[in-house]
Amino acid sequence: MGKGNGGLYPILFLTAVVLISVIALTVTNGITEEPIAEGRRQAIMEMLQTLFPKMDDFSFDEQSERYSVTAGGASLGQAFMAQGVGYGGPIDILVGLEPDNTLRGIQIVSQKETPGLGAKITETAFLDRFVGADGRTLALAKDGGTIDAITGATISSSAVVEAIKAAVLEQSGNNEGGE
Amino acid sequence: MQSFKDSFVSGIMRANPTFILLLGLCPTLAVSTSLDNAVGMTAAVLFVLLLANIIVSSIRRFIPDRVRIPTFIVIIATLVTLVDLMLQGFVPELSKSLGMYIPLIVVNCIILGRAEAFASKNRVVHSIADALGMAIGFGWAIFIVSLIRQLLGSGSLEFFGVHLFTVPGLEENPAAIFLLPMGAFFVIGMLLALFRWMGVSESE
Repeated sequence: MGKGNGGLYPILFLTAVVLISVIALTVTNGITEEPIAEGRRQAIMEMLQTLFPKMDDFSFDEQSERYSVTAGGASLGQAFMAQGVGYGGPIDILVGLEPDNTLRGIQIVSQKETPGLGAKITETAFLDRFVGADGRTLALAKDGGTIDAITGATISSSAVVEAIKAAVLEQSGNNEGGE
Repeated sequence: MQSFKDSFVSGIMRANPTFILLLGLCPTLAVSTSLDNAVGMTAAVLFVLLLANIIVSSIRRFIPDRVRIPTFIVIIATLVTLVDLMLQGFVPELSKSLGMYIPLIVVNCIILGRAEAFASKNRVVHSIADALGMAIGFGWAIFIVSLIRQLLGSGSLEFFGVHLFTVPGLEENPAAIFLLPMGAFFVIGMLLALFRWMGVSESE
């Protein structure tokens, strides 16, 4: 080392390095864009399938931001995203809803809660507590509701409950307004 | 010039990146909450460190001194993004489990540290040996930290969904503090003290 320090060489060298990087990134992005989008759709499909095992297709309505889940063309129910603010950041939740506003089930799509504590919101044992509950009156057991919070992770548990309740209320408001 | 074997062995113990060089502590503290995380992070570090060392070492004669750090950073950031895109596109299953560790690699000083201290001064084969040794050294270090934190913090030990061990008495009331950031500092501080006391250090 210790060479090539004079004149334009360092500038030209770094420019070349950046150019090569940009080209490599652009090409890779072009190649992977399609598979990534397809993968996301596949991931949504799989998550919807955990809520509606019999489904074979879904459509997304941009305006109400709702997924309509179908099997052989017949409607099975609705699903939509809810977002809560947890201890470590936003928590994205997929909510499956029956026509009478009881919860079909929920899935945590992404979260940044403390591993081993708040991150337990992704475990089946917690998710199952929501199945069959009325989405509009959802509350933690300590607030008089039916959902038991995770020990040591009240903030995360509460964030999930509040987010689902708010989203269900908003969506059921949409229903009544639209019909 | 060190021998090939020296380049490989030094990272494992004598110049262990985590316990002796104290490099890359930020991601180590952040993700060392479970054994699964330790394995995922080690795989990500191994891959990027190996590629970064090979590239930096093979163009080391052309890198001007004055712009060497920006050059390293551009190379590392590009590599990390490429790996991230490739994983997302073609191996989404792996991307799902490794996904959160990949961006952490950018801020992992082990990669930049080895590019600066080793790969930019040594031949490619030695740089490969150095990358492998450092990755193994990082791997066992983060594995031990994760082991202690998971054991005390959650009261039981699980490895990729397989239940291995339960600490009697801790199962019901785990010392959850060990899963929080301050627990990470406790554990790593104790381990650093232990290695000092055992007389392991770089200066010999």
